[in-house]
Parts: sequence; C-alpha cells; structure tokens
Amino acid sequence: MTFFLFAGDMLVMAFMVVLVVWVFMRSSDETIDEAARIPLEDEQADG
Amino acid sequence: MSAKNENPKSEFYHDRVVTALVMLAIVWAVLGMAAGVYVAAELVWPTLDFGEPWLSFGRLRTVHTNVVIFGFGVSALMGTAFYSVQRTCHVPLFLPRLAWFVCIAWQIILLLGGLSLLAGITSGKEYAELEWPFDIAIALVWVCFGIIFFGTIAQRKIKPIYVSNWFYGGLIIVITMIHVVNSLAMPATLFKSYSLFAGAQDAILQWWYGHNAVGFLLTGGFLGMMYYFLPKQAERPIWSYRLSIIAFWAFTYSYIWAGPHHLHYSAIPEWVQSLAVVMSLILLAPSWATMINGIMTVSGAWQKLRTDPALKFIVLSLAFYGLATFEGPMMAIKSVNVVSHFTDWTIGHVHSGALGWNALITFGTFYFLVPRLVGRELYSVRLANIHFWLALAGTMLYVLAMWGAGVSQGLLWLSLDEFGELRYSFRDIMASMPPYYLLRLVAGLIFLSGAILMTFNLFKTISGARTIQVRPPAVRGAGASV
Repeated sequence: MTFFLFAGDMLVMAFMVVLVVWVFMRSSDETIDEAARIPLEDEQADG
Repeated sequence: MSAKNENPKSEFYHDRVVTALVMLAIVWAVLGMAAGVYVAAELVWPTLDFGEPWLSFGRLRTVHTNVVIFGFGVSALMGTAFYSVQRTCHVPLFLPRLAWFVCIAWQIILLLGGLSLLAGITSGKEYAELEWPFDIAIALVWVCFGIIFFGTIAQRKIKPIYVSNWFYGGLIIVITMIHVVNSLAMPATLFKSYSLFAGAQDAILQWWYGHNAVGFLLTGGFLGMMYYFLPKQAERPIWSYRLSIIAFWAFTYSYIWAGPHHLHYSAIPEWVQSLAVVMSLILLAPSWATMINGIMTVSGAWQKLRTDPALKFIVLSLAFYGLATFEGPMMAIKSVNVVSHFTDWTIGHVHSGALGWNALITFGTFYFLVPRLVGRELYSVRLANIHFWLALAGTMLYVLAMWGAGVSQGLLWLSLDEFGELRYSFRDIMASMPPYYLLRLVAGLIFLSGAILMTFNLFKTISGARTIQVRPPAVRGAGASV
C-alpha cells in the first residue's frame, strides 16, 4: 500500500513539475518580467 | 503610499489587521524567546524550576516552541500574507471581518493553549502538543485563513499569481492537511485523547507532520515572505522569476517525503529511511536555487546594505537559510546521522534555521513594514543596527555552542573500549556539557536583548499613530486581466 502511494505521488508530482516547467517555458520574457515586477508596482504612487 | 479620500472605503487595502498581527507577533517573540532563555538556564542550573511542575523543563520547553513557532512565526506569516496578497492581487482583502476573527481567535488559542501546556495537558506529539479541543479550533481558524487568502486571489485584478502567493498558498494547504491527519484522535475526556495511530505508523505520521511543518511553515511560508519583501526592500524584481517557480514545485515535490530521516535506525521500514535520505539530498537543489535567487536579487543594490537595517537582516537570513538547508540534508545521511541524532547538534541545526533564517527575515520584514503601515520613519535606525549585530552574535554563538556540544556527545557516545563496550556513560557525557550550555544561555540572552530592542523601537515607531490607508494602483500593469 505504501509503495502504491509513493509511486502514485511521484507520478502526480512529476507530472505537475513537467507541466509547470512546460507552461513557464512557453511564456514570453515580457510576461515573466511583468509578473516579477508585481511587488514593485502594487500601491498608488501619488501619496 | 496614498491617503486620498475620494475613493470608496472598500477600495483601500485592509492593513489594520496586518498592524495588529505584526505587533502581536512581536509580543509573542519576546515571550517565547524569554521562555527559551529560562529553559536554557535550567539546563545549567536545574534547581531553577523551584520544584514547581509548571516551571519544569518539560512544560516550559513546549511553551517555548509553541509560542515562538505558532505565536511569533504564524502571527507574522498571517500578517505578511494578508499584506502581500492584497497588493500582489491589486484588490483589498476578501472578507476583512473574517481576517479579524482569524487574528483574534488565533491569539486566544495561543493564550489558552500555552496555559494548558503549563498545566501539563499535552498530547505528547512534538510541535503538536495541544489537546484535541485546540486541534479542532486550530483547523477551523486555518480554514478561515485559507478562505480569506484564496478568496482574495480569486478576485484579483491582474492575471499572474505572484510567486509569494504560491508559497503562502502551499503553507495554508499543506499545514491544513498535515495538522488534521496528525491530530486524528479519540477523545477520552475534555483534555485527554488517544491517537488513532500506533507504533511505527504513529512515528512515521508524527514526522511526516513534524518535518513538513518545518518545510511548509518555517521554510515555505517564510520563503513567501522573502519573495515579496526582498524585492520591495531592494527595489528590484526577483533575479529569476522562472527559477523561483520551478524551485517552488521542486521544493513541494521533494519535501513531503523527507520526514522519516528523523527516524533513522528505528523500527520503520529500511526503504522508507533510504527514501528520506534521497529526498533530503534532492532538497538541496531547490533550497540553494532559492538562496542564490535571493542573493542575486540584491546584486547591484549592495550599497543599500550600508544604510538599510531591514535589508541587512533579510540578506543575512538568506545566508543562514543556505547554511541550514545544506546542513539538513547532510544530517539526513545515515552515516552522519549516527553521530548527530539524539545530540545537541540537532538543536544547533534547528536554531541556525529558527534564529538565523526565520527570526532574522521576520525582523527585517518588520523593520520595513511597521514604518510603512503607519506612514512614519523608523524611530531609531541606530537601535536597529545594534539589534542586527546582537542577533548575528547571538545566533553564531548559539549555533557554535550546540555544534560543539553535539559533536562531542555523538563522538563520545560512539567511543568504545578494548572490550567493545561504551567508554563513556550518559552521565559522564552530560557532566562535560555545562560550559556549552552556559555559552548557549549567553547566546540566548544576547538574541533576546536584541529582540527587546526591536520591540521598543517598533512600539515607539507606532506609538500614537494610526494605520494609514493605501489604495491599489490606479493604472493596472500590462499583465492585467482587466
């Protein structure tokens, strides 16, 4: 049973990692840069 | 920051609850660290318990760990999660009244839970000592925390979900899962219950919980804090955003199986122990990728370290994060573990993470956050700088003392005479420990005095002030969905 859980968990997690890496590699540099800058532009700047 | 009045009130970020959680976290930090110093003193002078059960090492030690982890650590994580999730989603907090409920209910649980530990009421599970009524209350509050957090993300006005939210989200989901499963028990009375698990299964489950509490709360949660507040403080985006997301998934993938390295050479299956070693070693990759990502973010802004105490704390915390996440996998290797297990080396390792990583990054974040919350300058930069050196000295001295004690204990324990029998008894070994324990006490006092300075500094900063109102940016970023 534990082997089954382990194997299943490894497969699901490996799939998730591959999926995330794939989605991210398809994203443009511009999109990634915009996401990275979110904390720098998150408040009204006129105060 | 802005305090314009023409917008409806609902358009402002909800920061008053953040201020409350941050200030409460500071109070818990001082109380929890003071309890730690007291139990450290008891290991030097055992009669300091004065024969009172509630002052005994066994009770006060659990108060120390619960108060610093769940009082200081979790209050800080809730406050910073509430602060950052609004801003990274460009919307006010979802259900702000529920956030106040989470804040207040959590403090009541901590207060009553702490008193129950002093009274000797405990389930006996490490880092999960509180009895079943508290377990149910904790689960309810944690679910409410999740509703607020994910509700805010669901109504976000920009498309990307920033990386800090992935880590805070992982914290909320995984802690709910491991807390509920580890706490499954049959109540016998109001304050006594029996675990549904027994024997080796109970042990595996305990460390599945224990190590993932370290992983997803003390590591993942605080990485969420780092990924938001480091770029804010350095005024630069994270060095590699792609790396941060890949590291998150690699971290989540490998951490969940590392717990059984706490049970080497025990009755659990051999393959589970070996699997824990492999997963622990794999963890080195995402951990160091994260550390390098953080350090490289500051690259180009090093000059700020001369004048900015908050950034100094955060950068130093990354160095200790790298140290602790290298040491952990090494200690998981069975041939190293045979020396380190059941010794003070483990205590040193835990505190290089708890003091060097968790406490320092939180101190740095608070020095950044509190002045911004009330729209004032920090009361004293000089005091913050003094605190920095006290924190560094205290951490280093603590870790060195415990390394010395732990390695000595491990090697003396393994030492055999010509007949193959133990050369030193447990009593012999412990008789050589007082100098190390005295050093640890001094280290704790130094660290605590720094925390008291911070408390004074931040309460003076906030004294008489009100949390200012801040709005989301009027013009959305290019990645906006609206």
